[in-house]
Amino acid sequence: MSAASQYSTASPTDVQVSRGRQFTVSKITILVIFLILAFLFLIPLYWMVLSSVRPLGLIFTSGTNMLPTVTTLDNYSRLFSSVPYLNWFANSVVQSLGFSIASVTICAMGGFALAKYRFRGRNTLLILILLSQMIPFYLLIIPLFVMIVKMGLVDTLVGAILPLAAHPIGIFFMRQYMLSIEDELLDAARVDGASEYRLFFSIAVPISRPAIATLLVLFALEYWNNLLWPLIVFRSPERMPLAVGLSTLVTQYYPSYDLVMAGSTLATVPIIILFLFLRRQFMEGFGALGTGIK
Amino acid sequence: MNRLTTFIYSRKAAPWVFLAPFLILFLVFKVFPVVLAVLMSFQKIQGINTGEFNGVANYEALASNVRFGVALRNTTLYTVGTLIVLIPIPLIIAVLLDSGRVVKATVFRTILFLPALTSLVVVGTVFRAVLNPTGLLNSAIEQVGAQPQRWLEVAELAIPSLILLAAWRWTGINIIYFSSGLVNISKEIYEAAAIDGANAFQMFWRITLPLLRPTTLFVVILTIIGGFQVFVEPYILYPGGQSPGDGGLSLAYLIYRTAFNSFNLGSAAAMGVVLALIIFILSLIQFRFFGAFQREG
Repeated sequence: MSAASQYSTASPTDVQVSRGRQFTVSKITILVIFLILAFLFLIPLYWMVLSSVRPLGLIFTSGTNMLPTVTTLDNYSRLFSSVPYLNWFANSVVQSLGFSIASVTICAMGGFALAKYRFRGRNTLLILILLSQMIPFYLLIIPLFVMIVKMGLVDTLVGAILPLAAHPIGIFFMRQYMLSIEDELLDAARVDGASEYRLFFSIAVPISRPAIATLLVLFALEYWNNLLWPLIVFRSPERMPLAVGLSTLVTQYYPSYDLVMAGSTLATVPIIILFLFLRRQFMEGFGALGTGIK
Repeated sequence: MNRLTTFIYSRKAAPWVFLAPFLILFLVFKVFPVVLAVLMSFQKIQGINTGEFNGVANYEALASNVRFGVALRNTTLYTVGTLIVLIPIPLIIAVLLDSGRVVKATVFRTILFLPALTSLVVVGTVFRAVLNPTGLLNSAIEQVGAQPQRWLEVAELAIPSLILLAAWRWTGINIIYFSSGLVNISKEIYEAAAIDGANAFQMFWRITLPLLRPTTLFVVILTIIGGFQVFVEPYILYPGGQSPGDGGLSLAYLIYRTAFNSFNLGSAAAMGVVLALIIFILSLIQFRFFGAFQREG
C-alpha cells in the first residue's frame, strides 16, 4: 500500500491533485531522469567530434576521459589529401538539393490534382500510392539496378534521383495540405479567366509554401543520409555522395578511425547547425508526416 | 486554338497533366519493378541480360538455405527487440514532455531528436568505435567495475548491439510522432477525468492510450517495416558487413549480397518477394489488431 502511494507521488500527471513539496520532488526526479537521458543521447556525438580532433593513438586509449587535452587538426588535413572528401561533400549537396527539388515539384503538382479535382479512379490511385509505401526497397533494387544499367544511368545524377522521386509520402503530404485550399477561391479565379495551370502556380503554390518548405528540408535530409540506392548507382569515387564515400572508408577491416571520425563529423555538424536554425520546420515536419497518415 | 490545346487547358484534363510526372515515374520505377522482381524470382539469371524461367527453383533453394534461415531469425529478433524498446519508451517520454512537468521540455526534445539527423553511416561508424573492445562503452563498463564485453566479436551480442544503436537513432523521432498525436487529445478530457477523481495511471490507460491508437499503429507499422529492412547498420558495424557467426546477418543485407556480390539476381529477387510478403502480412495483422481494439473502445 505504502509503495503504491509513494509511486503515485512521483507519477507524471497528478498535477491537479498534488501540491507543494510532493510536486517539487516529482519534478526534480523527472528532471534528473531527463538529464541522464540527454547525457546518453549526446555522448556519442560529442565523442565523435572529440575523436576527430584526437591523434589516432589516443582515440582508443583515453578510456572515459572526455576532455580535449591533446588536440590536432591533422585528421582533417589528411582526410582532404587522401580521399576526394570535398568532392563527396559537393556531390551530396548537389544530389540532395536535386532530389529534393525534383521530388517536391512532382509531389506538389500531383498533390494538387488529388486534393482539388474530382476524377475517376482518384481514390483508388491514392490508396495504391499509399500501399506502395509498404513495398520493401530491397525488392525494388534488383530490377532497378538492371534498369539503370540498361538505360545507361549508372554513375549519373539522373540515375540517382529519378527512381526515388515519385515519393508516396510526399504526394500524400502535399494532398493533405492542399485540401485546405478553398474551392471558392479557385472558382473565383476561374471566373476571372485564370487557366487551371495558373491556379496551381498563383494560388496553390503560394498558399502551400510552408508545406513545400518543410518537404524540401525533409527530403534533402533524407537523401543526404541515404546510403543504399546511391551505393548501387555510383561506381566512381569522385561521383559518390558523402554517405557512400564514407562507407567505403568504414567497411574496411581496419578503418582509420582518425579519418573516419573527421569525415563523420564533417557530414553531421552542418546538418545539426542547419537544424538549429530550422528546428521547427524539421520537428513539426516529421510530426506532420507521422500524424498525416491516420 | 486547336482542339488539343483546348483539351489540355480543360478542367477535365488538368488533374492528369498535374499527375503525369508523378504517375510516369511511379509506374516506371515502382509498379514496373515490382512486376519485374516477381518475374525474376522465377528465373535463373546469369549476368543481367539472360534469364530463363525455372519455376519455383529459387524458392525451393531458399527453404534449404541455412543463411537465409539465420537472416530471417536475426531480422525477426531485431524487429521484436526494436518494438519492445522503441514503442513504450518514446511513448512514456512523450507523455512526460507533454505533461508540463519537465523543465525546459523543448531543449530535451531537441537533444533527444539530434540522433535522427545523423546519417546511418555515421551512426554505424560511431557505434563501431564505441563498441570497440577498448571503445567508450567498455571503458564506461570498466569504470563501474563490471565485465567489459566483446560487443562486435561475439555472435550472441550482435542483435543487442544493433538494438542499442536503433534505440539511440530512433527514440527521438518516435517521441515526435507520439507528441504530435498527443497534441490532438483535448485537455478538457483530462480535466473532466480529474474532476471525476481519476488518478494519473487511470488517465494514461483510459484516455491517453486509447486516443493515441492511430499514432501508435503508425509508429508500430513504421518500426516493423524499418526493422525488417535493417541493412545499413550491420553493413557498417562489421568489417565488410561480415558479422561473426552471422550473428548480425539481416535479410536485407543478405539480399544485397546475393544480388550485388554473388550476382545471383533470381535468388535475391525471391528473397525480396518473401520480405515483401512478411511486411505486408504483418502490416495487415496490425491493422486488424488495432481495428478490433477500436470497435471495442
